[in-house]
Amino acid sequence: MRIAIPKGRLQDKVLATFATAGYEVPDDADLHTRKLVFTRGGIEWIFVKDCDVPVYVEHGAADAGVAGLDQILEHECSAYQPVELPYGRCRMMVIGAPGAPRLANDARIATKYPRVSRQFLDSRGLRAEIIPLGGSVELAAVLNLTTHVIDLVETGETARVHKLEMQDFVAEITPRLIVSKNVYRTNNQQIRALIARIEEAKNAELQSIA
Amino acid sequence: MGKTRYPTGARPLLIEETARRRRIESRFVALLEGNGFAEVVLPIIDFAEPYAGVTGRESARQSYRFTDREGELVAIRSDFTPMVARALAPALPESELPLRVFYRGDVIRCDATRLGANREMFQIGAEIIGDASSEADIAMLRLAAAIASEFFENALVVYTDGGWQMADGKSADADSSPPSAVRHLPSLLENDARFVYHEQDEADPSSYYTGLRFWVYGDDRRKPIAQGGRYDSLYSRFGADAPAIGFTFTIDDLD
Repeated sequence: MRIAIPKGRLQDKVLATFATAGYEVPDDADLHTRKLVFTRGGIEWIFVKDCDVPVYVEHGAADAGVAGLDQILEHECSAYQPVELPYGRCRMMVIGAPGAPRLANDARIATKYPRVSRQFLDSRGLRAEIIPLGGSVELAAVLNLTTHVIDLVETGETARVHKLEMQDFVAEITPRLIVSKNVYRTNNQQIRALIARIEEAKNAELQSIA
Repeated sequence: MGKTRYPTGARPLLIEETARRRRIESRFVALLEGNGFAEVVLPIIDFAEPYAGVTGRESARQSYRFTDREGELVAIRSDFTPMVARALAPALPESELPLRVFYRGDVIRCDATRLGANREMFQIGAEIIGDASSEADIAMLRLAAAIASEFFENALVVYTDGGWQMADGKSADADSSPPSAVRHLPSLLENDARFVYHEQDEADPSSYYTGLRFWVYGDDRRKPIAQGGRYDSLYSRFGADAPAIGFTFTIDDLD
């Protein structure tokens, strides 16, 4: 079995969940090498950019992985999402430049999520222009490249510092365990065991928080 | 525009690939004809309108659409099954049911997601029209497995619950059925390791499938080489009240 772990913000927490679930995961020393694939406890662990996890799982290059709902939606990934993980929760928001009016047809929106943004605008009947960016999207509003930004908000600190205004709620975002449909069909027992173990680890983590 | 470029997903097959494609194709056709299936040929483009509400939004999004010279919206073939139903429904002679037909050709799907699945695919499919029995289900499941086994050592057919009737007439899904009851169809496939019963899958409300669904895998379990199922209300959308079950192999996936 091959499992895709998202590099960055969620990586340590996700590995901790798999460790709690009883999996032997790559340790820090491993991760400081330049290797891309680690075999531990009979499982191949791959570390990929968070936005690429849905791609690996959708095409079956990984049997399972952890991806944020933002990336799942943006890729229209069809993999199953059997477990929602209890951390990394954030909200996708419409954020206005200082003094910007509410979203309207003449708005310009910078975002890493052009597809989700388009669907949100369609649901509101708005034709606003979308400007896809690769990162630091708040800067677009700060520098008046755009009037608005659609992005994830965890604490809202970045927005406060730059006097940006939270205007509208797009979606609640959580990281999820995702499993490929084809693996679920053809290797059902193994994948069900994985789901059960992650579900259990999640509950254990929830209890330790409480 | 480079002289070597093609639209996304489209490409020519050169001599060796074509020879290989034709070899696979003739084995398929021999197997299907040997099992009593007769061929039909379907057009490469068709009006979009007759399929509205039949194939769902997802499938409409996946097809190349444009207006023809008379200003009507047409689509390039992206799914054979509804086209077979539309073509055969007006001319289904009740006396000749059940009918076994097969078809082959290219479909083009432009998957609009960022997952990169746009392509032209060569498909061969078969269906039995006018037979709602679980014997027809089994015949098609077995035929799909037999074809896959021609090409792969470890072919696997994963099938979901088709809502089959129990021997006592109750639905296999009913809560009232005794836990010891053996489902009619699975019991017939139980001793064949090529078949795996898959309890659950999400219901896709936009699809035309009405019961049994199945996926056929070759040695690579990451992607099915064929899929199929029962679509008992599809023909009625085109004016003929006939149940049907079929499958489609994507031949490019047999590499």
